[in-house]
Amino acid sequence: MRNFTRKKNNPVRKIIALIVVFVVVFCSIFLASKGKLEFKIADKATMGVLSPFQNGFAWIGSKIILLKDTVIEIQNLHEQNNQLRKEVELLRAQNLTASEFAAENQRLRALLGYKQVSTQFDLVAASVVGREAATWSRVILINRGTIDGIADNMTVVTEMGLVGHVLEAGVNTSKVQLMLDARSSVGTIIQRPESRVAGIVEGDMNNPNSPRMINIPKDADVQVNDIVVTSGFGGIYPKGIVVGKIKDIHNDEGGLLKYGIVETSVNFEKLEDVAVIVASREAPPEPLKPPEQTPGTETDLEQNAEQTQEEQRQEFSSDFAGGDEE
Amino acid sequence: MVVSWAIIIVLLYAAQTSLFTFVDYNGVSVNLMLLLTVSVALVHGYWKGVAMGFVTGLIQDLTMGDFFGCAIFSYMIIGLVAGRLSPRIFKDQFIFPLLGAPIAVVVHFFIMIGFIFFLGYQIDLLYMLQAILLPLIFYQLVFAIPVYKIVFDFDEFTQRHG
Repeated sequence: MRNFTRKKNNPVRKIIALIVVFVVVFCSIFLASKGKLEFKIADKATMGVLSPFQNGFAWIGSKIILLKDTVIEIQNLHEQNNQLRKEVELLRAQNLTASEFAAENQRLRALLGYKQVSTQFDLVAASVVGREAATWSRVILINRGTIDGIADNMTVVTEMGLVGHVLEAGVNTSKVQLMLDARSSVGTIIQRPESRVAGIVEGDMNNPNSPRMINIPKDADVQVNDIVVTSGFGGIYPKGIVVGKIKDIHNDEGGLLKYGIVETSVNFEKLEDVAVIVASREAPPEPLKPPEQTPGTETDLEQNAEQTQEEQRQEFSSDFAGGDEE
Repeated sequence: MVVSWAIIIVLLYAAQTSLFTFVDYNGVSVNLMLLLTVSVALVHGYWKGVAMGFVTGLIQDLTMGDFFGCAIFSYMIIGLVAGRLSPRIFKDQFIFPLLGAPIAVVVHFFIMIGFIFFLGYQIDLLYMLQAILLPLIFYQLVFAIPVYKIVFDFDEFTQRHG
């Protein structure tokens, strides 16, 4: 036993054994590389032992990869979501700008249409840039001033009708007193041909959005829904600009007069673009058109001319035929 | 004891060849067999280091090795050298396996390159250094301490329980 232990722990034997193993392994490398050494059974046995464990680890690995892919996908989705949110914000901002432009375009088109129709006025377009905070519906600030040809007391309109007049023209901006202002008074007239009753439209402190048409005689022909236009009296407002329509009629306290509540044609709460009348002239008369004729009557000149020509042609041909016979 | 070591070897090798291939870098992943050989050699000395090198190299050569004997020879050399340092180090200091792991992989790399060269194959050494050695060193550094801990704890466990 003692000899065996001594033999086992003998360092010389260990070294010899190691050298032998190294030499064997070293030689086997070159033999194996030339195909002279094969370990098919050992290969299969090792693979057989390892394969269940490898399958198990491969399954775990695939689950880990799946988890990793899911996490990466979630991360990608998160980033994509953030990018899309930014894009949505950007598009919303652009959409808002586009809507703003579209609305402005619509207003300016309407104003341009009015400008083209109103040939008797020279108009300068302006935008509302401010309102007096305390009395926002009575005085506004527009972005046109004396350098644009604006002067005090010029009339301000929209395509819908009268807005007010320039209270104070600055260099670049001007203050416009709306016709709703209690200090404002506009000479007006009922547009209906049978009526043509004159009155004054002035702002009402108690009802800032609905001015009153005052100084109407009690027996005057004024009805609800009558259109009220400027009369041109007073020199500030040109004649014929629509002010609004009569919404209601009340008797005045004195008993001799009555007044009408006017519903303005302009929506003062949505006032954004206006036009200032820098010059006005009398409107050219409409070209005269012949009244419509009843077809087939004597007054239908066109038909009469055609009929006359036809008769002359028939007479000429009958005369020519009679000459030949002779 | 032998059965326990066999289980450790089989589990680590199965993990190396199946589990950790999922986290490879250009086909290169950790070499747990080399780490196990170095760890056993550092803890138990050169004799067991050489024996472990022989077993791990044999498994590798039998299953995956392209040149039979290369891994056995290389691991035995590494087990021998690392085992000779074993009496001179404090085994509870984990800095030694951390230093030993990259050195071992570099030695293994050049032994393999030497064999491949002597067997008559052309190799691009610079490419092999970049594509194989550098990522391998990184992986070995990451797994050096966990593998050493397994070997060290197993050794303490067997000493405590006979």
